[in-house]
Amino acid sequence: MDLIQQLLPVGEGDAEERRLLLLAEISQAFAGALDLDITLRNAVEKVCAYMDSEAGSIFILDDSGQSLVCRGCAGPVDITGLAIPAGRGIVGRSVRDNVVVMVRDVREDPDFSGAVDAKTGFVTRSILCAPLSLQGRTIGAIEVINKREGDHLFGPLDRTMLQVLASAAALAVHNARMAIGLVEQERIRRELDLARDLQRSLLPAECDEDCAITGVNLPAREVSGDFFDHFECGEGRTCFSLGDVSGKGMNAALLMAKTSSLLRCLGKMGMRPGELLTRVNNELCDSATRGMFVTAVTGIFNSATGELIWANAGHQPPLLRGRDGQYREYAAAAPPLGILPGVEYEEQRLFLDEGSFYLFTDGVTEGRDFKGGMLELEGFTGLLDQNAARPARERIDAVVKHIQQAPLHDDITLMVLESRPHAGLKLLDKLRFVADPAQLKRVRAAVRAAAQASGFAEEVTEHLILAVNEACMNVIQHAYKGDAAGEIVLEILNNPQRLVFRLKDYAPPVNPAMIKSRDLDDIRPGGLGVHFITTLMDEHRYLPHSGGIGNVLEMVKYKTANGAA
Amino acid sequence: MYDVTTSGRYDVVYLKGDVDLSCSPKARESLLAQLSTGRPLLVDLSGVTYMDSSGVASLVEGLQTAKKKGLSFALVAVSKPVMSVLALARLDKVFTIYPSAQDAPA
Repeated sequence: MDLIQQLLPVGEGDAEERRLLLLAEISQAFAGALDLDITLRNAVEKVCAYMDSEAGSIFILDDSGQSLVCRGCAGPVDITGLAIPAGRGIVGRSVRDNVVVMVRDVREDPDFSGAVDAKTGFVTRSILCAPLSLQGRTIGAIEVINKREGDHLFGPLDRTMLQVLASAAALAVHNARMAIGLVEQERIRRELDLARDLQRSLLPAECDEDCAITGVNLPAREVSGDFFDHFECGEGRTCFSLGDVSGKGMNAALLMAKTSSLLRCLGKMGMRPGELLTRVNNELCDSATRGMFVTAVTGIFNSATGELIWANAGHQPPLLRGRDGQYREYAAAAPPLGILPGVEYEEQRLFLDEGSFYLFTDGVTEGRDFKGGMLELEGFTGLLDQNAARPARERIDAVVKHIQQAPLHDDITLMVLESRPHAGLKLLDKLRFVADPAQLKRVRAAVRAAAQASGFAEEVTEHLILAVNEACMNVIQHAYKGDAAGEIVLEILNNPQRLVFRLKDYAPPVNPAMIKSRDLDDIRPGGLGVHFITTLMDEHRYLPHSGGIGNVLEMVKYKTANGAA
Repeated sequence: MYDVTTSGRYDVVYLKGDVDLSCSPKARESLLAQLSTGRPLLVDLSGVTYMDSSGVASLVEGLQTAKKKGLSFALVAVSKPVMSVLALARLDKVFTIYPSAQDAPA
């Protein structure tokens, strides 16, 4: 309900009160408004109505500060959108000098420009114009034209009123601008969140402890130009890749997603690493943004046999930490992807035998600690040494934590490949028997069956039978000291890399240090058993027995080294 | 018990089957009993399907006992698996081994 209509009765009422109420209403309208143009137009209409003026308009300085644009008007002539050079005319003077300008009679003011009147046919007689000020800056002005009543000229009361209204209007403009800014920020943030979620979905799924490949990717900002990936590609092998896109921000992130997807798709088709990079390189040269390129390493890893093949396109050389703790870098000469078409990428190969193969982006070696010093290769290998005994996931987390001491300047991506000899051990057979030598025949038959199932040749099979038989004899004779009631359990386990025998008894624990091999030159009956076990098995050790009762002897025979499948 | 024959001046004991911890006491007994007759001994291993360290120990004890008595003691017709066990124990050079009883010196 329009307050003004309520309060403009037939000449009665307190003018001051009406004025205040109008002020309140307009201020409220301004306060709640977010759509600036609608608000300004409504406000001008109300102001005109109250001030009983024939026309009115509100001008706001544009972004360049060179023009004043009419953003709302009321009266017979619609000049919304009209732009006048800043500083021109009455409005211009008001804005430039930040003063209220009252021109009682325009015919007497040289600043008045009759140009608009000439075009529109409107006759301006009297103008009242107040500047809109915000945080010390003048952003525009509101003007009312031609007082309707009386002598058609504006007076001091009008001047005051308009000044007050101008303040409210200025505040409204400010709020509307802030609101627009916030909405825009919110939109950008939502888009970045979406991009980050998308990128995270491109990362490989988390793997359990038995995984041969462990990796981490931490973007420095919302989106990352680094990536890593790994997936099964049949026959116990895993394909992997890791890369770094030049530049930062959305462009880099998009190229990252494209490259990572191409490598995954072609990798799943069984393509070898060298050819894979050749194809992806040609594709990126064809279609990627000029000036952007990707460094990458891609390869195939068989964690059971330890065989690793890979190809490198201009990326930081992978680092091998051998079983002995020695480091070796594998440099390559080929260029990054996306620069030169037709490049042939050479494959490199090694057998990972209890070593660890690290792939990483320069965010790692250029990462900083709290003192601001760069990690460098030396610092990196130092951290790896310190954490060598820990499982892969913990080791990687330790490195990342060190670099996170300072805010990330660059994305961090780090991946490690390790063979998993004990992974996937499956129970082939389990025998329970008493400590009676007559049972040994049955044990030997079970060992023969397991050895043959694993593909060992006859001679090796004989050796395995001999060793396990001897181990059982030791339990019967020494652990149980001939007590034929003692219980013995033999478990036979298997994975692509090894055949494992675990022999358990429930006799008092034997001190492994007391079990020594016989000196063969001292020919005496007995004592050969341990010699057979140590010679014929690739590994043997005593394991802790659950519950602390009895002994567990584990004996391991490697498959590939001994000609098995 | 195990079969025993003669071949010239030798007694021949035929060890048979699996000579493992369950049977090696018997094998040991046989060898020592035969040696107490005072004649040189040949141990025929052609019928042995498996031998473990206790079986080997019995042979070693036989050899040592024979030596003490001044008797000759040899193994004949040693199969491949038994040979490899002896080799593993580095006893293949310690025993006198003949392909057959006929090859033993008369």
